[in-house]
Amino acid sequence: MLCCRCCRDRPGNPTVNRVPIEALQPALAAEHAAVWAYGLAGAFLAETLAGQLAEAAAEHRARRDATERMLIDAGVLPVPAEPGYRTPEPVNDAASALRLAITAETDAAAAWRSVIENSPAEPALRKAALDGLTAAAVQAASWRAAAGSTPLTVPFPGAP
Amino acid sequence: MLASGVVAGTLFVAGPAVLSGCSPAPPALPEEADPLASPAERAESDVVLARLVAAEHPALAIAAGALAADRQAHASALRTELHRARPGTIPSSSNPSSFNPPMARDTTTIIIDQDGARDALVRAVRSAQDEAAALVTILPGYRAALLASVAACCASHAVLPVLS
Repeated sequence: MLCCRCCRDRPGNPTVNRVPIEALQPALAAEHAAVWAYGLAGAFLAETLAGQLAEAAAEHRARRDATERMLIDAGVLPVPAEPGYRTPEPVNDAASALRLAITAETDAAAAWRSVIENSPAEPALRKAALDGLTAAAVQAASWRAAAGSTPLTVPFPGAP
Repeated sequence: MLASGVVAGTLFVAGPAVLSGCSPAPPALPEEADPLASPAERAESDVVLARLVAAEHPALAIAAGALAADRQAHASALRTELHRARPGTIPSSSNPSSFNPPMARDTTTIIIDQDGARDALVRAVRSAQDEAAALVTILPGYRAALLASVAACCASHAVLPVLS
């Protein structure tokens, strides 16, 4: 897991305009972290994976921006990106860069699943969170395939 | 006498209303199907389909075997939740092959050729993804999250190189 300040547990689950702030802020933080992680991973990944990396990074930037807008529209200040993140292991070659990408996607999947679990059954919000979870699960499987690790999939992406 | 009689009567009438939680249950109405029943049956059907493909087509064996394992996990989790919600009404199954196995969809396609088998698997996971995703928007939190993971897992199978 990539660590940042907003990982701290806070009590309650307030919602503003039916937006579950306490679940959305960690999802935004996970998107910030993923964008940062892809910046680092890109320095070590093979050229053949450049297209996949660019696609994944662009998805996370778009989702980060959309999540910020959701929070701003709800009248809440979005959590900012951290200057840097602590990685689970040193990232200094292609293999560790792939593991970082998988970690970033796994964190994002967990954050978006939590939004679903902790939000009212409001179609637009649930759909946005499901898209985030699904994209993260698909990217994680693609990175596992690139890394040659098995199994390529997990039965319950995002589940604790 | 009359006044006290009225008071007593009022209390008597009010009593059952206050204690309505203890009154006998009304006659049972036919229950609607649990919305998780269909995804559970679909997962079990997909396990059968994926196992058939894995046995018939060596080139698809790893992908189909992995799909069978994940769909088995989905079936078990969905059956557990169904059973929790309505104890005693739904038999729990940890292994679809151990009881009457549901007929796999598209079995005729599998027998024909490998491409047909691959198509059948892709159709199965996409249908499962669509069904689960539709329920994510309407069910309560825990169930929505469970189905969201099912949908995301099925999506990840669909894009793997062997199937895509």
